Parts: sequence; C-alpha cells; structure tokens
Amino acid sequence: MSTTTITVDDLTFRYPGSDDPVLYNANVEIDSGEFTAIVGGNGSGKTTLCKAFNGLIPHFFNGTFEGTVSVDDTVTTESDVSALSRTVGYVFQDFENQLVQPIVLDDVAFAPKNHGLEDYQARAMDALEAVGLADAADRFIWELSGGQQHLVALAGVLAMDPAFIIVDEPAAQLDPDNARKTYEQLRGIQRDTDVGVIVIEHHTEFIGDYCDRLVMVADGDVAWTEPVDVGLNRVEALLDADIHPPQVTQIARELPDGTLPNGRYPVTVEQAVDAFPAAASDARHRAKPDGSGSAECLIRVEDVTHGYPTLREGHKTVLDAFDLELYSGNRVALVGANGAGKSTLLRLLTGLESPDEGTVTVLGDDTNDTLPEELAEETVYIHQNPEEMFVEETVRDDVAYYLESREAPDADERVDDVIEFLDLEDIADRDGRLLSIGQQRRASLAIGLATDPTVVLLDEPTGSLDLQSRREVTRMLSRSVSRTETVVVATHDLQLVAEWADRVIVLGPDGILADETPQAVFQQPAILAQANLRPPQVVELSDRLGIDPPSLTTAALVERLSTGAVR
Amino acid sequence: MGYLDALRNITIADIKVDLMRTAYDNDDALLNAFDPRVVIIWSAIFVVVPWFFYEPEPLFAMLVASLLLAYLSQTSVYLLALLIWGSLSNIGFIVILSSVVYWWQGGSGGLQSAVVDNSVALLPFTMKLTVISVVSLAAFSAMSPKKLAKGLLSLGVPRPFTFAIAYGYRMMPVLLEEYHDLVNSLRLRNKAPEHSGLLRWRYYLYLLKLAIKAFYPMTFNVAKRSRVTVEAMETKGFSHSLGNEASRELRLGDLEIRPRDVTFMLVSLLFVVVVAVYL
Repeated sequence: MSTTTITVDDLTFRYPGSDDPVLYNANVEIDSGEFTAIVGGNGSGKTTLCKAFNGLIPHFFNGTFEGTVSVDDTVTTESDVSALSRTVGYVFQDFENQLVQPIVLDDVAFAPKNHGLEDYQARAMDALEAVGLADAADRFIWELSGGQQHLVALAGVLAMDPAFIIVDEPAAQLDPDNARKTYEQLRGIQRDTDVGVIVIEHHTEFIGDYCDRLVMVADGDVAWTEPVDVGLNRVEALLDADIHPPQVTQIARELPDGTLPNGRYPVTVEQAVDAFPAAASDARHRAKPDGSGSAECLIRVEDVTHGYPTLREGHKTVLDAFDLELYSGNRVALVGANGAGKSTLLRLLTGLESPDEGTVTVLGDDTNDTLPEELAEETVYIHQNPEEMFVEETVRDDVAYYLESREAPDADERVDDVIEFLDLEDIADRDGRLLSIGQQRRASLAIGLATDPTVVLLDEPTGSLDLQSRREVTRMLSRSVSRTETVVVATHDLQLVAEWADRVIVLGPDGILADETPQAVFQQPAILAQANLRPPQVVELSDRLGIDPPSLTTAALVERLSTGAVR
Repeated sequence: MGYLDALRNITIADIKVDLMRTAYDNDDALLNAFDPRVVIIWSAIFVVVPWFFYEPEPLFAMLVASLLLAYLSQTSVYLLALLIWGSLSNIGFIVILSSVVYWWQGGSGGLQSAVVDNSVALLPFTMKLTVISVVSLAAFSAMSPKKLAKGLLSLGVPRPFTFAIAYGYRMMPVLLEEYHDLVNSLRLRNKAPEHSGLLRWRYYLYLLKLAIKAFYPMTFNVAKRSRVTVEAMETKGFSHSLGNEASRELRLGDLEIRPRDVTFMLVSLLFVVVVAVYL
C-alpha cells in the first residue's frame, strides 16, 4: 500500500488583526497509513494546523504565512483549496453547515459534480455505502439525526476518494453512542482502504480505543508525536493542556501496582483488566431504592399522551399514557435513545407544549391552564443548543433579561453574583453568539441560574463540551441543588449520571424502561444497550474485574482496588 | 386559556409540517411532472395572459382553473389562504376608502351603492391579481428545488443564484426550527401582561412583539452558520465548478422536453383560446 505524507516545515501563521502567531515554527509529519489524533488545549492552534493541510490556510484566511506545508510533492501555497481538497478531505466541527443540498445523495455527489467527474453517481453511492447510509440516499438532510448527518458529511468527503480525511472534534457535537459509531466507521475506513484519518479530539478514551498516533499541539507548536500507548502515558503534559487521560489510566496512576508488564499505564479497559488486581466481592454497599421516598411531590405527569405531526409518518406519538412523579431533593437523570421523548418531556414541563391528553402539574399548577411565562417564575429550562438562549447583544444583558422583564429590584447585584460564580467576567460584555461552544454553555447556565428557580430542567448540558465546561456544569449542578428543590437533566452522558444523579429514568420506545439508582441501572447492561447507552469506563472496568456493585467514580474504584487487593 | 394554548400549539406544529410539505413533498404534484423549463416559461406566459381580459366571466374561469391547478399541485392551504386574504383585504381597503370619499364628496346613491359599484368595478382587477399569484405559487411550490434550480440554470440564470435556491430549501427547516426555539426561549424569560384586556389583545400584542424580536437573533445565527458553509463550499470545489463546462453538462444532462410537456403547453393555450372565444 502506497501512503501519502503531509509534511509541515517550520510553519508560522498569524491571523489578520492579531499580534501573536497561532502557530510558531511548527513541524510535523503525518502518514496516511495511520489513524492520527491531534490533541491540545483550547486555542493551542490545532484547528489552524489542520486547516493548513488542505490549503484553507493561507488561501481562505489571509494572514501572515511562513514555512511550507506539502502533501506528498504538492506544496499547498502553489495549489488551491478545491484541488487540495481532492486529496485532503475535511469534516468540520459544525458539520451541519457543511451540508448544502436538500437531498442526501445530491449532497454527497456535490463535490464530484463540481469537479465534473462523470461517475459522480457511483462515487456518491459507494461513499454512502462505506458509511452505512445507502438506505438514506433519497432522504432529506433535515430528516436525519445528528449522527447520520455527520456520516453524510463524511461520505461527502469520501466521494472524492481522498488520501486523508480530517475530522474536527467528532465527539464534541455528537452523543457518545453516535461518536463511537463514527469512530468505528473511521477505523474501518482507515483499515480497509489506504485513507489516512486525522481527528482533532479531546476525549482520550476514544483516542485510546481507536487511534495509532498522538500529536500534541501546545502553544502554537507541535510539542511531541508519540504512539498512542506512549502518548497517553504522558499524563502530566496532558493535564497541563486540560486534557484528561482515560479513566483507566487515571485509576492506574493511583494504584500501587497498576502498570502493565512493560511499565506503562493501561489506556484501554482491555489493557486495564490484565494490569489490575482482582477485587474481592463486597456486599456491604448495596444500592438504595430510588429517590422517591417520603419527600414532597413537585411534578406530576399523569396519563400523558403527546406527539407531533410529521411529514411522512402522519402523527407520531412520542409519549403514550405516560406517568411520572418527581420529588423534592431529586437529582434526576433522564436517559434514553434519540427520539425516546426526553426533550419532549422537558418541554411539557415548561408548559411550552400542552399534552395532547392527560395532565402535567408543576408545583401545583396545571400546565394546561398556565402560561409558560408564569411557570417560568419557578422553573428554568436550559436549551440543548445554548445559541437559542442568546437574544441580547452581551452575555450580561442576557443574564439580566429575565430579572429586568420582571423588574426585580436587586437585578444588577444578582447578575454580578451569577457572573462571578461562573467565572464569566471575561466574556460578560461579549456577544454570547460569538463565543466558543463551551463558553456559550456556561453563559446559558448563568442565564438559568439568575432566575433563582425551584425546578431546573437541563437538556443535554454536556452534549458538546470541552472538559473545563464539563466541570462547570457539574459544579453548577451540585451548587444548584442547595438552592433549588429538584433538577432534571436529559443526557447521554453516563459519566455525568454516575457522578451526579441519584435517580435515573431510562426512557425506551414504549415508556419507562427503568427508574432506579445509577448503581442499579448500571448493573443491567441489557437495559443500557436497549437505550443505546454505554457505561463509563470505570463501570465497565468494575464489571470486568468482578466488582459488585460497580464503582461509579475513579476515586471509588481506586479505593476498592487498594483495600480489596487479593492478587 | 387552556384551549387557546392547545390550539396555538397545534397550529404552529401543523403550519410547520404544511410548509415543509409544500417545499419538499412534490412527488405527486402535477406541475412537477413536466420539464422545469416548460413550467417556468408556462408560468411566465400565464402571468401576462389575464391582463388581456376585461370581463369577469373569462377571468372567473381562469381563477377556477388556477385554483384547480393549485389543488393538483398540492400547494399549501395556509399559503393560499394568506395570499387570498392579502388580495381581498387590500382590495377591500381600496373599496372602503374610495366609497367613503365618494359619499363624503356628496356622490349620488349613498354609501351602500357606492360600495357595491366600486366592488364590481374592482372585481376584474382583483381576479387578475389572484390568478397571477395562484399560478406562480402553484408553479414554484410544486417544482422540487432541484428541478427549479436546473430549469433556471439551463435558461441562463447564473449558477450562484440557482445554488442559492437549493441551499435555501436546505436551510428552511433549520430556520423554522431555530425561529420557533428563539420565540420559546424569549417566552420563558419574559413576563406576560397581567391583564390581557378585551379579547386578550394585550397578550397577543405581547406575542407579536416577541415574534418580531426573535428575528434578529435568528438572522445573526444564520449569518454565523454561513461562515462555515462558505469554507466548506470551497473545499467542495464550488468555485472550481463555476467556469467548468464538464460540471455544467453533468448538471443539465438529463433535461429533456417530452411529448407530455408539449401537450401540457398546448392544452393550456387551447384553454385560453376557448375562454377568449366563448366567454
């Protein structure tokens, strides 16, 4: 198999209007025979580096460009983006905006058609088959789920038969299950064809499971390039860049004898099972029953049936004769596959939608008889896509919006308080819509917190987060429980569930599959699989090591392994 | 209050689906079966034809025919209703204004007969406008975006423009969704008027204000999206295709005028002749 090489030689690049270069004398060589992951902190220049590979830099962004980037013998400055993109394909982080035609097949065939390739139809079908979407060729783009749209964007790149595919943060915009599916596809493509895959990635667990080589970008330079097993062991360097090593690697560091025979820490669950001591079974810590108990019932959903009119399938019922009670003090995680009704349920609780049948009572008010504006006095809903929460020109105005519309006397003070609590001082006077997704998420939390709610409803708060923002969400969740009565989080993120929730409601296609403590839910792999969920590494590892009940956090597992070591 | 909110919810969801159906579900639409160039030229002709008639009868026949065509082309009822309401209210306003002026100036026969006279006088004009609107609506909503773009491209419209049509269709559902979300987001942070007044006019005024306020953030978000889109278009070789003859041929290769296109055109013209001669 002949491979192609991208060579970056002393690359320096400065965006117009900026004083400091994003990249300074960067050097790297990437071979298409490998699956390469590029990591680095926010603003380290990793996206800029990747955009230099297909000529978007400097052809599209005019800045100061020094050094050379070449793909085999082609020097990027002497070619153009269109031509380079035939060799180096790019899947953008917000891939939805990369899809420009209404129908799937047309979009995939768009580039080959632009280049006047007569076999465009065949190329497009082959590409769709390669990503497993041949059935969807005639569907409209908007009918597809986010995960499928990502695969269409990938197919659009594959249709040009490139030597490299660059995928910018696939796990950031996709839920974990779809991200894993995308990685499976990418690895398959990389193995079966001679296409090199380059991903920009924060989530080291995916890197450990799927990638061959790790490129670390720090301060505008390529700091080092290592095989993944070695690279993920450079724990200090990773943590410095705000990148968390895989859970198994973190556990191994804490254990007295957690290393592999070659002296390295394991980076996958598979490796960890061999490296770690087996633990004795421990029955003293049994799961307690779900959080319902004696507390006051705040939210009651009774016999609710609700759905939507759809274009192709007529009226689609999402919730059918659905019952649920939520109590004060609950930390509820709502999990389930896409389309199981998580968001629908949250919107019903806000009163933005009234149930087709049945009643929803929130803090004693029947949502059928109450305006959403009135329910919002005590309930706050934080949208899955934080962009939809920004309606003013600065973050501060957005945080103040609710208080000002209600003429709250201490509005300024409360706004300052919230902004300080979430460390938003730096971005408080910027336009929320222009922030990075992580910053947007934190700002949207501030908008919610400022209302001082009794009930907090969060839709996918960790859906697309870098690690810093993820910590903020967890911190806000912990703090908000001291102020509020109940928090309901719709999520795919089982690590969040494990660390935070005390009641997990698993929604399936026919209603509630399980309503239990996280521990109890994690002990039922069949239910998780049914809901397209995958337990966090620490739970998987506990299971493989025979620890029952499973540990939910790395700290808990370290403790179990160090006290119960019997090897 | 409950029934009102329930009604509103259903309407928004239904209107969304109806608009989507108009834009996307063209498979069974009559006008979509023909060659796009023929349909475009045909509609250009029928935008002009009504102006050659002055009597209400032939115009009425054309109106019925155009409505039938709109029905067969699965045009959105909401759009049709909006359009007809628009022309009726517009004409109604002129009728009332002119009648009041006439009566005030001391015209004979009083206000009532002035309204009748003016309505009759304006009837042909109203029908002409309605026929034109219904015909163009039927033609352009029945053709799939791909066909429409292809038809225009082959008639010499520049490619960036025809691309914009296909892209517009791609973005429409995203816009609808985004707009709905923004309005909802505003509702959850605003305070509804405490006293909604007669027929809840204050409440509806308040909703109207929110509906207007949501436009700016929507435009902003769309502009932001298009930044990535432009980058992506470059990687997909769009600018490369602009001057590329092979690419243009691939795009237009399967356009073909078949007997049924000719029949359609002839039958339409025959209809006009019949109307002109017999009515």
